[in-house]
This record gives sequence, structure tokens and C-alpha cells, in this order.
Amino acid sequence: MEFLRRWWKLIALLILLAFPWVYREPYYHSLGFFVLLYAMMATSWNIMGGYTGYKSLGHSAFYGLGAYLVAIAANKLGWNPLISAPFLAIIVALVAVLLGWIMLRTSGSAFVIATIAMLLIFRITALNLREITKGAPGLSQPLPPWSPEFSRMPFYYYILFWLIVALFVSWYIRRSRFGLGLVAMRDDEGKAEMVGVNTTLYKILAFGVSAYFVALGGGVWSYFTSHISPIYAFDILVGVDMILMTMLGGLGTLWGPVLGAFILVPARDLILFKFGSTSIYLAITGGLMMLVIIFMPKGFLTTITDWVENRHAPRAAHQGARSMADIYDSSSEKKQGEDESSHE
Amino acid sequence: MMILEIKNVVAGYLPDVNVLQGINIHVSQGELVCMIGPNGAGKSTVLRAISGILKPSQGEILFGGKSIGGLRPDLVLRQGIAHVPQGHSSFPEMTVKENMLMGAYVLNNRAERERRMDKVYEMFPFLKERKNEKAGNFSGGQQKILEVGRALMLEPKMILLDEPSLGLAPITAKQVFETIKSLKNEMGMTVLMVEQNAKSGLAIADRAYVLELGVERLEGPAQTLLSDPRVAELYLGGTLKS
Repeated sequence: MEFLRRWWKLIALLILLAFPWVYREPYYHSLGFFVLLYAMMATSWNIMGGYTGYKSLGHSAFYGLGAYLVAIAANKLGWNPLISAPFLAIIVALVAVLLGWIMLRTSGSAFVIATIAMLLIFRITALNLREITKGAPGLSQPLPPWSPEFSRMPFYYYILFWLIVALFVSWYIRRSRFGLGLVAMRDDEGKAEMVGVNTTLYKILAFGVSAYFVALGGGVWSYFTSHISPIYAFDILVGVDMILMTMLGGLGTLWGPVLGAFILVPARDLILFKFGSTSIYLAITGGLMMLVIIFMPKGFLTTITDWVENRHAPRAAHQGARSMADIYDSSSEKKQGEDESSHE
Repeated sequence: MMILEIKNVVAGYLPDVNVLQGINIHVSQGELVCMIGPNGAGKSTVLRAISGILKPSQGEILFGGKSIGGLRPDLVLRQGIAHVPQGHSSFPEMTVKENMLMGAYVLNNRAERERRMDKVYEMFPFLKERKNEKAGNFSGGQQKILEVGRALMLEPKMILLDEPSLGLAPITAKQVFETIKSLKNEMGMTVLMVEQNAKSGLAIADRAYVLELGVERLEGPAQTLLSDPRVAELYLGGTLKS
């Protein structure tokens, strides 16, 4: 147990590194790619939606924008997508900062609606800007130079690398002063401002960061599929999936979004395989989201850690009450009773 | 030595509707001063005017000889005045430790924040023992002490406390008052406190003001006011205007 607790990250990494060599069929490479891709994007979404508490339903806009920028750069300028994607994603992040500056004047459900509107504007623009995007039929880009047999494996490792970067960024933000400010804002924006958090600036920055890895994911995806169209690039379901994964795994936790992606992406594939690409898939996604919200609003990770904590809580409360008694002579025996009952 | 001086301050929340009508209050270094008075007397408003949430339209607020009237709240905070507002001001979903760190948020030095946190932990060991628990799991009194501890993170020269016993059970309120007393006795902290519970507030204070309709009506040593029949009368619906 102790061994696992200390080394599980390394073990997980080794498993992920070995996976494409154990399961050699291209299908598994493709599935692995999507699991890692969504884990990265959900981790990114979580920085805004989980830490800061501003839930964007329109992150697909950045996915699509990243996809189109990379595809256009590949076609017009001959830039290699795997090299250009991390740089072009910076442009998308800046666009997100600009849009965030406007949209983050709203909060709560108004913000959610604003993000959906943003996504629809992007989608309509992409459909109609035919000179650049080729409209509804979509845009093709050159195939990867390596042999088709292994074509998925480089993508798999490439996105694994970026997932690790995204996790590092998420971890670093959460333990930084910036992240502390974000979490305080989620709790109470007014109070956060009172103690000196620059809420406006922080919200906008978090929005930009959370757009970055989604845009990067979109760029890599466009190269992976080699053909993109507005319907799929600016698909609201891409954003919904990120949210669903984050909420299933644990909103606002570091590993929750990853866990969610590792459960949902294979599950979604299974559903598609069993029922085909029909509306049943949509109904199941929606139904699952409802179930998660009703029965596990905090997600797997938070529910489990809360459960473990609550098993120890009466003891902790007892200790707390006793040390209060150490400071004060007053009868904290009654207090202690109150504490314990409040933990029931 | 006088540390805080409020001279003829007029302030209110709406234009032309003044809550404070030329109030005068002073606090000396290391003193625990309590303001009491009926509802609407302007007790909390005095604290808000000091901490910069409210801008006085007339008069002067001096802190350590410097004028701070109308300064932005974060700048007043940097001058060394910490305000613990009414009700719960901790972040319920954040851990105790995170709440403490929020207290010194304006401080950009991580090591310094940790050092100060250790100092506060020394004063309130139960905060350290429960540092990874959510503040929302604390009882009302424990949350109040956490808020006081959080205010200490900035190493203020002075603390403003707005009704620290509000909504607390009598036993818990007593503990909170003990804590406030120890701030003064053990740390030499200067405290200006508003208290609805006049008896408990006066019991721990050095000096007190009785406020009514936006001005100070009575001022004197807390023990004297405690036995002043006029104070009792005020609370029973009388007035001090005569």
C-alpha cells in the first residue's frame, strides 16, 4: 500500500508508455490517443471550471480555433502541425483572454450562456468564411510523413507528453498564490476581493490558460484526423465531454479530470460500438451527466476522499475540542458533544 | 500614545443620509476599546470608515499621525489595520491553512507567509492541528478565532472587530472574548471592537464609547460605564439626548 502510494504516478506513467507496444492494433493506439487528449483538455478546463468556478460550456470554440489555425498553417505555410500547435495555441489563449475580458463581466448561468453564444459565433463564422475555412465541406491537410502502420503511435506519445505538461501546470497553479486566489474566488468572489485578490485579472488569466491546452488539443486532433469541418471542430459536445469528465472524476481536483477521461472515453467508444453513431449516444451522455450531478455532485475523487476523511473526522473534532480546552479553562465538554453531532 | 484618532467624521451610505454625524473617537497604543450602543447608532459604520470601505464626507481619520480617511481598503490594510467583519468572513470551502494564507494574500513572499502562519499557530494550536480541515466544518466560535488568526497574518498594528460574539452560543462567545483579551495582554495588540453584548464587551475592554445616532454620547473607563445607570437606560429604550 505504502509502495503504491509513493510510486503510483511512476507506475501509471510506465504503463502508459508500454501500452502501445502491448496493444499493437491501431484501434488501441487511437483509443489511447483520445483518452490522453481528453484527459489533457479536461485538466485544462478544470483550471477555469474547477478551480475558479466559472463553468464554460463553450471551450469547443478554442478546440476548433486551434484545429483551424494548425490546419491553415500546415496548408498555406507548410508548418508541421506537431511543431506549430503549441505556438499557435498561444494565439488562441490570447484570443481567449480578449474574449474573457468581455465575457467575465458576467458570472453564474449568464457566463455559461455567454460561452455558448461565443461557440456558436465561432461555428457560424467558420461555416461562412469560405475563403479561409472552405466552409461546411471542411479542410484537409497533408498526412503525416511516417508509415500508416505506426501513424497513431507518435500522436499517442506526443499527447502523453503534453498531458504531463498540463498536469504540471494545473498542479503548479493550484499550489501557487495565483491558484489560491482562484479557489478563494470560487468560494466567495466578494471576500476574495476584500483580502486583496485581483479578481478581474485572475479570472481572465485563468480563462486564457484553460483555453491553451484545449487549443493545443484541437490542433493535434486536426492533424490526427487530417480532415476537419466546422460541425466537428466547433462541436459543443467536445466541451460538454470535458465538463462531464471533470465532474465525474472530481471537479477542482488535480487528478479528477484525468480519471474522468480514462473512464468516459473508453465507455463512449463502447457505446458507439454497440449502438452506432446515433442519438442514443447523446441520450446516454446526457443521462450520465444527470446521474453524476444527482448522485455524485463532487465526483469520484472528492466523494472518496470525503468518505475517508469523514471516517476520521469525529476523532479530529475531538482533538480540536480538547485543544480549545487547553487554551481556555471553560467547559468545552459540551462543545465537544456539539462538534461530534454536527459531523453525523 | 494615541494611535488612532477620528475627528468630527461625517459619513453615510447614501448621499445626504449620514449615519455618522461628526463623531470623535481615539484609541491609544495597546488599548482595548469597545463601542456599544443601540442598533443604528453607527458602530459598524465607524469601523467601515476606518478600513476604507466607506469614504467619510467630512472630518479626519488619523492613524499613527497619518491621514487615512478615504484611502482604498487594501491600502489601509497595508498601513497595518486589519478588519474582522461581522458574521462569517472565512472561506468555508477552503482549508484552515488556505484561509490563513488568504489573510496575508497581499504579501508576495512565500517564506514570510509561512513564518507568520507558524506564529499564529503557536497562539492557537487547534488551528494547526486541524489545518487541513475545511473552515466550513468549524463551529461558529472556532471560525471566529480562525478569522482573528487570519487577521493576525498581516501582523497588523491594530485590529478592528465587528461584533465578534454575533450568533455564538454563550460558552463559545466567552471563549472568543478570552481570545480577544489575550490579543491585548499577550501580544500588546491595539483593538477597537464593536459589541452588541454590552456587558461582555465592557468586561474585557479598557475604555469604551457609547454611541447613539451617529455621535459618541458617553466615553470613559469600561468599568465605570458598566455601572453607569444611563447605559442601562439607553438599552431599555431611553435616550441620552437630554
